[in-house]
Amino acid sequence: MLDVLAFLVLMVGLGWLIVSGAGSLQYNWQWYRIPPYLYRFEDGAFHPGPLLLGLGVTLELTAWSLALTVVLGLAAALLQRSTSWVGHVLARFYVEIVRNTPMLVQLYLVYFVLAPILAMDRFVAAVLALAIFEGAFAAEIFRAGIEAIPAGQWEAAHALGLSRYALYRCVILPQAIRLILPPLTGLAVSLIKHSALVSVIAVADLTTEGRNLIADTFMTFEVWFTVAALYLALTISLSLWVGWLERRLPVRGGEYG
Amino acid sequence: MPPRKLRFGWLDALILALLGGALGYVLHQAQDHFHYNWDWRLIPGYFLRYDPAQGQWVLNLLGQGLLATIRLALWGSLLAALIGGVMGVCRVAHSLFLRLLSRSYVELIRNMPPLVFIFIFYFFISSQLMPALDVEGWLVDAGPTTLSVLALLFGPPELLSNFLSGLICLALFEGAYVTEIVRAGIEAVPKGQWEGGRALGLNSRQVLREIVLPQAVQRVIPPLAGQFISLIKDSSLISLISIQELTFTGTELAVSSGQVFEVWLTVAALYFLLCFILARLFRRLELRLARHRQR
Repeated sequence: MLDVLAFLVLMVGLGWLIVSGAGSLQYNWQWYRIPPYLYRFEDGAFHPGPLLLGLGVTLELTAWSLALTVVLGLAAALLQRSTSWVGHVLARFYVEIVRNTPMLVQLYLVYFVLAPILAMDRFVAAVLALAIFEGAFAAEIFRAGIEAIPAGQWEAAHALGLSRYALYRCVILPQAIRLILPPLTGLAVSLIKHSALVSVIAVADLTTEGRNLIADTFMTFEVWFTVAALYLALTISLSLWVGWLERRLPVRGGEYG
Repeated sequence: MPPRKLRFGWLDALILALLGGALGYVLHQAQDHFHYNWDWRLIPGYFLRYDPAQGQWVLNLLGQGLLATIRLALWGSLLAALIGGVMGVCRVAHSLFLRLLSRSYVELIRNMPPLVFIFIFYFFISSQLMPALDVEGWLVDAGPTTLSVLALLFGPPELLSNFLSGLICLALFEGAYVTEIVRAGIEAVPKGQWEGGRALGLNSRQVLREIVLPQAVQRVIPPLAGQFISLIKDSSLISLISIQELTFTGTELAVSSGQVFEVWLTVAALYFLLCFILARLFRRLELRLARHRQR
């Protein structure tokens, strides 16, 4: 109890430090101006403000890149497991290159090098860059999930005379999905966080809208705190959902034997 | 599932055909619609150039950027290890206050986009912390020897306060991840070790210092090495608050020279080499350490 109190005191102290620090800069707090940038009610109709629209773009961006990430990750994982020599080398190259370069540099490469050649629009470039980056991590998640399926399952499927396609489709992937789903949702959280980076190429996501608002209104702290809170709400609710999912889908190792 | 032998089959032919097609299309597009003049000869000059005024070779933009990135990585990981070590011990402390404190630090940073954290924090650091530390004033008083030592350790003195702001942002950010690594390392030490220590009559601080931490350190080293590589990659984000490291100098160079393709490919290759070589090195060290421990 005393500890909780001390913690609260510390938080209040930190808050005071921020406010007084801003005070020493002659900072003019204008929190009342923030809500209209989130949403407005006009004639009983709901109008989302720039921040909510930005949040929508962030979600849209995340959804598209998550779909592409799953495709890329699954393809890379299956290629790494295949007997194909070219496929193996290609998947290795992809994973190593993506994991050993910064996301920002990959984004610049896609946007400044690939996009002008292929006449890509910036949203497409952003989706592609995000998916390429997260796909390498998804590949490892899929690989780990597939490899965690006990050898008996593979052998039984072979003994039943299933083709490779039927083996993955009917035996391995349905079991692997339970192992894959929790880390994949973690990946979605990381995708939301990394999607903030695309503000660098001016895709109108939450961060970009925040930066534009600051440029217009000079409410630096209010806007950044609101943007951060929106991201926090999004990622924390997703994280909680992952935790719930992990409890709902217990991985029963003994079952497979 | 036993590993199978790799062979060349229909899938290889298909992949090669697809790859060839995609590459051909990109090259065709680049040739036809986009008249780009590739000129790789200028790139080495962006690392080192001959300065006729001084009569010697000096580092050019990319060289300076690479050096700044390496400096950021070294100092940043030291500072992050310090923050992470303290916070990690707080995570498993008895005191609820310390646990609350470290937990909120970790959750706050891990659930916020790095970019947003860096932007918010940069305002505080540059407007509050830097004036409080009075780096500029201190630099004015510094003698030439101090300045040259500082230049060796932190890069050009005129950029010191800029460098320090970036460094603190990066270290605070990575510190949250190190905290979790340290916590996992401490929690991986079997409970019997704590109980054994207490049974010997040590108090809990002594148990932590003498028994648990030395064992945790061994477990923590491999993931910390991985985090070091992450730190190098994340340091590219600092370029967005105008800290002059590799990505920042890359942006400058791409704009000023107009050789966008070559510059970005070179920057990506530099990061790749740095991270890939380090990853390999850490992997070998880890294997050697594991073998050593088995004996």
